[in-house]
Amino acid sequence: MGRLGSALTSAVAIGFGLLTLLGLLAGGFFGTIANLFIQITVITAAAAVLIGIANLLGVHFGRIRERRGGWGYSIILLLSTIGVLLLYILERANVLTGTPAPTTILLESVQVAIESALAGLVLFALVYGALRLLRRKVSASGLLFTLVLLVLLAGALPLANATPLALIRDWLLAVPVSAGARGILLGIALATVVTGMRVLIGQDRSYRE
Amino acid sequence: MDGTTQILTTLILLLAMVISVLVTQFIRRRRDLYVLRDIPAYRVLPGRVGEAIEANRPVHISLGSAGVGAGSTILALASAELAYQMAGRAAIGAAPPILTVADPTAIPLVQDTLRRAYAARGLVSSRRGSVRWYPGGGRSLAFAAALTATLGDDHVATNLLVGSFGAELALVTEAAMRRDQSVIAASDQLEGQAVAFVMSDPPLIGEEVYAAAGYLGGSPAQTASVVAQDVLRLLLILAILLPTAIALGDALLNGRFSAAIGRLLGGG
Repeated sequence: MGRLGSALTSAVAIGFGLLTLLGLLAGGFFGTIANLFIQITVITAAAAVLIGIANLLGVHFGRIRERRGGWGYSIILLLSTIGVLLLYILERANVLTGTPAPTTILLESVQVAIESALAGLVLFALVYGALRLLRRKVSASGLLFTLVLLVLLAGALPLANATPLALIRDWLLAVPVSAGARGILLGIALATVVTGMRVLIGQDRSYRE
Repeated sequence: MDGTTQILTTLILLLAMVISVLVTQFIRRRRDLYVLRDIPAYRVLPGRVGEAIEANRPVHISLGSAGVGAGSTILALASAELAYQMAGRAAIGAAPPILTVADPTAIPLVQDTLRRAYAARGLVSSRRGSVRWYPGGGRSLAFAAALTATLGDDHVATNLLVGSFGAELALVTEAAMRRDQSVIAASDQLEGQAVAFVMSDPPLIGEEVYAAAGYLGGSPAQTASVVAQDVLRLLLILAILLPTAIALGDALLNGRFSAAIGRLLGGG
């Protein structure tokens, strides 16, 4: 990008950013402009799904053409994508009718079911991963994590004599976990403000090169 | 937005702007003015990319569900900056970097990041990196499942999972560990960050993601952004600790502590 193009993109980004910020803070006339900008952003973001679909199809067509690892799955993915798109078009054209709609049935009986099964695996992945981590290197954070995980799991057991563990679990969640979470969120918020300000004053180079 | 919030927000933004601009000027004049604290993840990252190049295997960078135009815009920009630094280093290798996103609005951002990374190396004509969108959204297990497949199919050497992830990050990191692939992860979601802290070696925590440019880029403006974060954090700590100390002093001395401070400050 030439120097002029760089200056132009910077000016556009800074101008739109400052106007939106002013609108959000001051309201009134600037508020109306800010809302308009935000609406344009929402429409652009919706159009990005088309870019995503084109990307998805392009990546998997390429994988099949070059016979790269897992290309068989790419065929299944492409067929599923085309199949669901066709189903949706037929639904919209009232060719396929019925309640619930076929795409809803697909979503609920295929995607939700598979995602639920995967969600069940998250706990095992976490425990197995923590064990592997401890086997590789015993660190204070790894030990602390394992200890807290054991206390939380044991405290959640519906046993009469596990009450002290339940109390410890409640305290852990209410005090150290809550404090740590707030600390992390505050840190992220501060960093977001500084990074956002860098974009607004033109120090970020993502739109300058 | 009520009046007090409006004033406070404006003050914080102005403070951030003033600190960023001032610190940049100071650091431009004296580069050794501020020594950045050690963040192990940024220390080891260039070496990990080097190992991937030597092994002729790709580096995998994922932004998770961070995207442009919503609440995670700044996170997406910060993650893209980290991706830029890594992709620039990986560009000289035979195996091009792989960038994965769950939010379609992040596709143009990472495409451009990849272009800039190759252009910075003078390799824009031979750009080969791959940007992949796996539909998912926030906390998507489908996205996590797609990533676990990518790790195996593409024989990834090292993973940089920095963006917006939930607890499903455990599936990806566990799959990477099973394949002896290194992982550096961080998330703006608490569940994802908790998983990242345990499974990432070494971990990145919360706001450290936003400091990537300062640590890996090193221009005065980028370093100034890290310093501005540190100054604001220090001010925030003081803003929390001072009222706490006064309240504690009052509780112990029956309200005489704040009266003494008032007298010291000339309040009679």
